[in-house]
This record gives sequence, structure tokens and C-alpha cells, in this order.
Amino acid sequence: MTPDDVTVALLAGGAVDDLDTEILGRLAALVEAADPVPEGLVDSIGLALTMEALHAELAELHLVGEPALAVRTDETSIEAGTITFTTDVLTVMISVHHENDLVRVDGWAAPAGVLAVELHQSGRFTTTTSDEDGRFAFVDLHRGAARLVLRRPSDPTMPVVTPQIEL
Amino acid sequence: MSDDLVEPVDTALRGQGEGLADQAARAVLAYRDGDPAPLAALVQVMTPLLWHTVRAQGAGTEQAQDIVQNVWLALVREIETIRDPRATLQWTLVTAKRAAWRAVRRSREEAARTDSDEAATEWLTAPADELPDARAVRDERDRVLWDNVRSLPERCRRLLGLVAMVDRPDYAVVSQALGMPVGSIGPTRGRCLAKLRAALAADPSWSVS
Repeated sequence: MTPDDVTVALLAGGAVDDLDTEILGRLAALVEAADPVPEGLVDSIGLALTMEALHAELAELHLVGEPALAVRTDETSIEAGTITFTTDVLTVMISVHHENDLVRVDGWAAPAGVLAVELHQSGRFTTTTSDEDGRFAFVDLHRGAARLVLRRPSDPTMPVVTPQIEL
Repeated sequence: MSDDLVEPVDTALRGQGEGLADQAARAVLAYRDGDPAPLAALVQVMTPLLWHTVRAQGAGTEQAQDIVQNVWLALVREIETIRDPRATLQWTLVTAKRAAWRAVRRSREEAARTDSDEAATEWLTAPADELPDARAVRDERDRVLWDNVRSLPERCRRLLGLVAMVDRPDYAVVSQALGMPVGSIGPTRGRCLAKLRAALAADPSWSVS
């Protein structure tokens, strides 16, 4: 064994100490900076898991009108302004307003009636209930990819899910 | 989910405190009980580790995003069949590594078939070797550290780069998932970290910085 080998062998048997922790901490920051996790990956995983959880019960809505509003180039996400989605059982119109860094979503579902409405974003979700006219609103949302899940009292196990929209 | 690759985890982790392995176990149990929030939190903290695990195998950025997302989907699809929730961290790491390895091998074969120079050399670029930009290198010590890490054998570079992503209780799980021998790191330093320490000790710019 060379002196270097002996040094390494001795160091290898020692317990991880504060200097090791500092070294690994610095290395973590450097690795993160050299090859950062792409922005939006965690969000899209969260949404994919939500969809997976609902999979058997999914009724996808379709975008109608204005394909010009449509699709972000990097993924199947829609830049929102005013958008209408429709399925056999439900039509939903939403409009999106930006207030500084926050976002407000106003929606209206037809046929009119009280629905449970969830807004899924980054693996979290907010729940509200529409009024008897089918109107609902979400306020103080953050920007980013989101999706609505609507449950009708007549068929609560079959939620209606919108495509991903970009708030 | 197969249990064949998870047997040493429990012993390796015992008595080393709370880490990702414990958080993952709790998230799996909660998810089964109908509470998805802990799993969503786990996705936040664990995705960087999976990302770098996949990238260390040479997967491209698009490919790596698909692979990482599919690992999470596979976990959820098999969540009812997980016999030992404490093996979840190791299972996801091994699944990610294998999926990346298969994808990279396919890309290489594809590149060899099409004989495209650009595609054929792309996978040779190890992402962890690229220098971070000036903002990330905070001081001289960072620069010296990076140079010394780059001089290590490739297996050590990969191990240390990934172990750096987790806290001490998870060192052993990460190194085992990479196929490194038991004791590669944690609770003792192991040879890779020892080599780095020896190299830094011998580097005059490290001791003065």
C-alpha cells in the first residue's frame, strides 16, 4: 500500500463528520445548479398522479372554440382566458383574471345546479361548491398548471375533469 | 412491487433517525388510507433525487422527465401491493435507475443504427460534468471542490452527487440502490468520500480557501 492508500483507508473507516456534511451540502448545490430539475416537472407529476387516482372514473372535457388560445408549445396545457369545455353530461365555462401575482377563476357549469368543484394545482387542491345557478369562483390562486374536477350530486363517483389549463 | 431487492434496507437504516425512507413509508400508508397529501409532499422532496439518479445514467432531459413521472405513476399503480412500505425509497430509486438504463441503451442502439454523429455522441456527455454557471459557484471553495470531484472515478462521482441530495439516514439506501457495496457510505465515510477528502487535503487551494 502506498501512503495515499493508507490515508484513504483510514479516512474511509472514519465516521461522517461536519466537514463531510459541508462538502456534501456544497456538492448538492453545485449538482442542482449544473443540472436543475426542469421547472414544472413536479407540478406535472402531481397532476398525473391526481388523474391516475381518478382514472377509472374519468370523463374528459373537450375544449370548444378558440384553438388560438390554445396549447402551450412544450406540453398539452392551455393558456387560459375564457374557455368552455363540454362533455355529454356537463358544460363548463371559466374565465381567468390575473391580479398582480395572484389568479382568480370564475366558472359556470350547465345544466345549472349545485356541484362540488375542486381545483387541483401542484398536488394540492382547493374545494368549493357552485351555487344553484352553477356559478363558482376560486380566488388568490397561484399561477401555474391547474385542472378542475367537478362532481355532480346525481353521480358523485363519476367526476368530470378538465384538461390542464395554464393560469 | 417485487421485494427481491430490498432486504438489507431495514438493518442499514435502523437507529439512524428520520429520513426520506421513513417519509416515503408514511406517504404510502397514508395514500392507502385515502390521504394523498403526504405522497404529494414526497413528490416535491424526492423528485430532485430521482431526477439526478436518472440523469446520472445518461438520460436526456426529455427522456428523464418521462422516466421520473412514470416511476411515480408505477408507484401509485402498485401501491396496494407494497409489502414493506419502508422499502419504497429503494424501490423507486432502483426502478428509476433501471428505466433510465434501458432508455439510454435503446437510444444508443438507435443512434448506432441511424449512424448520426450528433445523436451518437450526445449520450457521452455526462451531465454532472458540466460546470455550473458563475452564480452557483459561490466561492473559491466551491470551485476547488468541483474540480476535485471531477477528478474522482466515475462511480464515485455518481455516488457522491446522489448521496449529496439526501440526509445521513438515507446514505446507505441511495448507495445500495446504485449497486454500490454495503458500507460505500454511511455510517462511515466509505472509499469515495475518503478519496475526495484525501484529494482536498492535498490540494493547497482547498486549505487556504
